[in-house]
Amino acid sequence: MHLKKYLRKCLHRLQKGPGYTYKELLVWYCNNTNTHGPKRIICEGPKKKAMWFLITLLFTSLVCWQWGVFIRTYLSWEVSVSLSIGFKTMDFPAVTICNASPFQYSKVKHLLKDLDELMEAVLERILAPEQSYANATRTLNFTIWNDTPLVLIDERKPSRPVVLDLLGDVHNGSASSSPAPGRTCTAQGCKVAMRLATNIFSQVPRHKLVEMGYPAERLILACLFGPEPCNYRNFTSIFHPDYGNCYIFNWGMTEKALPSANPGAEFGLKLILDIGQEDYVPFLTSTAGARLLLHGQRSYPFIKDEGIYAMSGTETSIGVLVDKLERKGEPYSQCTVNGSDVPVRNLYSDYNTTYSIQACIRSCFQEHMIQNCSCAHFLYPLPHGERYCNNREFPDWAYCYSHLCMSVAQRETCINMCKESCNDTQYKMTISMADWPSEASEDWIFHVLSQERDQSTNITLNRKGVVKLNIYFQEFNYRIIEESAANNIVWLLSNLGGQFGFWMGGSVLCLIEFGEILIDFVWITIIKLVAFAKSLRQRRAQARYAGPPPTVAELVEAHTNFGFQPDVARPGPDPGTYPDEQTLPIPGTPPPNYDSLRLQPLDVIESDSEGDAI
Amino acid sequence: MLAMAPGEKIKAKIKKNLPVRGPQAPTIKELMRWYCLNTNTHGCRRIVVSRGRLRRLLWILFTLTAVALIFWQCALLVASFYTVSVSIKVHFQKLDFPAVTICNINPYKYSVVRDLLADLEQETRVALKTLYGFPENTSRKRREAESWNSAWEGTRPKFLKLVPLMAFGQDETGEAKDFLTGRKRKFNGRIIHKASDATHVHLSKEVVGFQLCSNDTSHCALYTFSSGVNAIQEWYTLHYMNIMAQVPLEKKINMSYSAEELLVTCLFDGVSCDARNFTLFHHPMYGNCYTFNNRENETILSTSMGGSEYGLQVILYLNEEEYNPFLVSSSGAKVIVHRQDEYPFIEDVGTEIEPAMATSIGMHLTESFKLSEPYSQCTEDGSDVPISNIYKAAYSLQICLHSCFQTKMVEKCGCAQYNQPLPPAANYCNYQQHPNWMYCYYELHQAFVREELGCQAVCREACSFKEWTLTTSLAQWPSVVSEKWLLPILTWDQGQQIKKKLNKTDLAKLLIFYKDLNQRSIMESPANSIEMLLSNFGGQLGLWMSCSVVCVIEIIEVFFIDSFSIIARHQWQKAKEWWARRHAPPGPQGRDNPGLDVDDELPTFTSALRLPPAPGTQVPGTPPPRYNTLRLERAFSDQLTDTQVPAES
Repeated sequence: MHLKKYLRKCLHRLQKGPGYTYKELLVWYCNNTNTHGPKRIICEGPKKKAMWFLITLLFTSLVCWQWGVFIRTYLSWEVSVSLSIGFKTMDFPAVTICNASPFQYSKVKHLLKDLDELMEAVLERILAPEQSYANATRTLNFTIWNDTPLVLIDERKPSRPVVLDLLGDVHNGSASSSPAPGRTCTAQGCKVAMRLATNIFSQVPRHKLVEMGYPAERLILACLFGPEPCNYRNFTSIFHPDYGNCYIFNWGMTEKALPSANPGAEFGLKLILDIGQEDYVPFLTSTAGARLLLHGQRSYPFIKDEGIYAMSGTETSIGVLVDKLERKGEPYSQCTVNGSDVPVRNLYSDYNTTYSIQACIRSCFQEHMIQNCSCAHFLYPLPHGERYCNNREFPDWAYCYSHLCMSVAQRETCINMCKESCNDTQYKMTISMADWPSEASEDWIFHVLSQERDQSTNITLNRKGVVKLNIYFQEFNYRIIEESAANNIVWLLSNLGGQFGFWMGGSVLCLIEFGEILIDFVWITIIKLVAFAKSLRQRRAQARYAGPPPTVAELVEAHTNFGFQPDVARPGPDPGTYPDEQTLPIPGTPPPNYDSLRLQPLDVIESDSEGDAI
Repeated sequence: MLAMAPGEKIKAKIKKNLPVRGPQAPTIKELMRWYCLNTNTHGCRRIVVSRGRLRRLLWILFTLTAVALIFWQCALLVASFYTVSVSIKVHFQKLDFPAVTICNINPYKYSVVRDLLADLEQETRVALKTLYGFPENTSRKRREAESWNSAWEGTRPKFLKLVPLMAFGQDETGEAKDFLTGRKRKFNGRIIHKASDATHVHLSKEVVGFQLCSNDTSHCALYTFSSGVNAIQEWYTLHYMNIMAQVPLEKKINMSYSAEELLVTCLFDGVSCDARNFTLFHHPMYGNCYTFNNRENETILSTSMGGSEYGLQVILYLNEEEYNPFLVSSSGAKVIVHRQDEYPFIEDVGTEIEPAMATSIGMHLTESFKLSEPYSQCTEDGSDVPISNIYKAAYSLQICLHSCFQTKMVEKCGCAQYNQPLPPAANYCNYQQHPNWMYCYYELHQAFVREELGCQAVCREACSFKEWTLTTSLAQWPSVVSEKWLLPILTWDQGQQIKKKLNKTDLAKLLIFYKDLNQRSIMESPANSIEMLLSNFGGQLGLWMSCSVVCVIEIIEVFFIDSFSIIARHQWQKAKEWWARRHAPPGPQGRDNPGLDVDDELPTFTSALRLPPAPGTQVPGTPPPRYNTLRLERAFSDQLTDTQVPAES
């Protein structure tokens, strides 16, 4: 029913129309619109008219162009940055502490026995090449050696370098099979030892490795957070393949993160560590000290990349400034909130840590490693159902690994696949150092610490082992860089309005007016078309009648009175014949022809008179 | 009608249908009234339409206030047009590794340069002995010191004579003790304290200084130092520069350390590198320095992984035995991270490395881009700074300042200072050619520090620069247990260069790496564009008066063109009247029909503008009624009668 009503209304409207011709409509519009230009087009002389017409056109095109510029700017999703610096109560960063040596030498000696003997033999051989033949006859386990031999490359003749196996005859294999040949072999020697050691350690189960590392109670001697004492139980243990047991303070995994409400060393974390330098694995690390990293709560510590050293026998003071970057996500920048939309499986999610790009890149590398070398690298987490590389099962993994490491393409694919995380926190550190303990206080401090740890009255510590750390917030402890949309919808609207107003004094209502006029325009066109169609039909009908249109009586009586005979049907009173037939007896006014009102369709007349209308 | 051309037909039709109207006001007042009634701006209309004087006054006030506000706000907008907004972006990407320049703190091997410096050293030791009773026996090389002492008798002290070291009491400034002769002598000249007054702790102490004189010895300046250490070092450096300025560059390079000697091992991105990857860079005060990743015609190395594994790892051989005891009092190396085309100002911004330590330097890259003129005073490449760049490197503020000073030095003193490169057609200062350059240099340097030379005003900062923020941490190296095997291996390794066992304190380990590959770019961008300015104008105009450019054009039209034409018309009429009164005798012709006269002589607005006259205006008397003239008047036709204005002409 409604539809029918609506359609009828439409029809009505169609028949009626706005009732203007195009010109009327335009003049009416120009006269009544609220935009400033058109009004002037119609009210003055032709020169001014032309001028105003041009001006209006120019301004309209200007407005359209500027609108285009603004809309494009808006759709470029630019961000503006706000920077705030100050002090507020913030969660103290998580502090990860490791010893530079992963294991206690006394506990891993049995595993590394063969390797160490080999290394010593090699050293002897290098330092005294002539005399060493006698010593080399010592019983050595050559199984490790045969996998990856150390070679000496004699480059005195650059055209034909001689490759010497240090413990055997002249090595006749190609040089590329040995890891990274070079003129100087020290760093490589150390590296190879490291690689062989990882090889050995990768076969040892994880819990045994943890046992071989430094236990928390041996590493952490004293701990003080602000005024509160803390001890090694406040630290969460995590195993790092390079640094052994690492301990994380304030990781925020199980309990709430500790806040710090005051700047200055008094309110920060104070630690005394014993790194036990005498028990370092000699060929594994040559640097002595504690490794330290500040990172956000619930994030995995990538201590090898971002960590810093703290030297033994010194007090290292670290002032912290939290540098936060908060990005706006899509569509403003390419970042990910939790890494779920990154096509790399985060292997570090086993630790229950948040997404970071470092974790992504490492996971990506491990994936590539498994694809290319079919075993997982020892330094990165193990995906389910995979195995760590070792020489027994995967004899050529070391070559495969070094090949993969050198491949630039692999790194770049990983960088391209991984997205930055939207919230990025860095800890800027100001580091200063001083000697600790001082000569005067050395004696009693070592006494007290030895007593506490080993319950012995003798001094069991020395300068080379102790590290003191102060970590605290600086006077300004945060610097937050926050992105916000540079151009929001309000900005867009106000600029669009400004442009329209500036050039033409228009507003949204003017646009609506214009839209109305357009609709009217369409209506007029439709009406004209309808009229045109009707007139066509009319002409056809007229052609059918072949005479003047029917009178009213004809039309009406034809339906009601079947016996009706129209006047016109009579041949007598034909008006055209009056002047010719002078036979009428009475000259003067003829009797009125009552049925002479002929109905023409209305719109046909209208369309005829259109030319005169204004 | 049929004979008319189509163009004329259209014209006639337009004329017929759109009759010309216009401000045909005869007076300015009428024009204003017409303007106020027909303008698009709000407010003006109110002035005319309002009834009552108070109300009209109020509306005038409001309108004027709005106009004033518009002007003020638009002025503010224009004034703040050249502001910048800063955006900070962080990218994670493959980064170019910077150039790393490494120098030994000691410039030349002492055993080699000793021949050149023997006299100077001898005199320094004597000065120390006389001044502080310094026992010669404590010197490291006892035997040799004694031999110098015996040699002392024969030669005459030339350095102390040239620039005498003096000790004198703080309170008696006029009296100084020349300790070469031991005699007290009157000193009349300016005294310049190198130490500021705030740092003077021991006021009663004797202070040490030296005297510098210009060509005629009447102009002398005495430089004093709070501590003898500074005085002696400063004095020594002065003479040292004198001596070294006369040595040719090739000889100096040979006297210094070779790359093979300095770099024991080198490892970049896990791959071995060696001395061939370093380029030599000779610095006047630091001798031979070596720059990594700065080789010409080679691609710049880049890192695609963060962490110390993937950076540069070098072990340096410092050879502390070869240190010059008076020139450098610290030991170690200096390292500077810089752009490939940047000049390493190692004396200004270097980071020092301690021997027997592993120094790990984590880098963060920050790039800054500023907008140049008219937003700020920075310069893109230094070409618009009136100082010629004497360095073979890209422009920086520091290069500009040093170049400026060096140029001034050549101008004023006639020779170039030893620390900086030579400008064209100049040579380094020395005694032989420029006996009084030291005084000149000190004077000039004082002026430079006090910003009297104008260098600081002329030099502008560069628009874009890269900065590497360094996080330095130290660890003991080698560790106690690894020392046993590490040192012999390194000794064996260096066997070709040096014939002695390496000591722990002769070595330093350096690691330089990107902490992570986050690159921060700080970019300035224009805060305003011309579109923004216009739309802000539009906002202001629209807010206060609902005005637009159309209104501005209207104002120009009405207030300038129309008013001008009305005034001109009046003047024209007055002139004509005056002319008529002057020449034509007053007669009664035409007096009976004054309306015709006016019609002829007063040009209307349209006739003044030579517009075609509107149909109907020139027809005297009642025109025949046109039935097709019923027009819908604009909004004001159905105005209330009380606000109806008097009918216009």
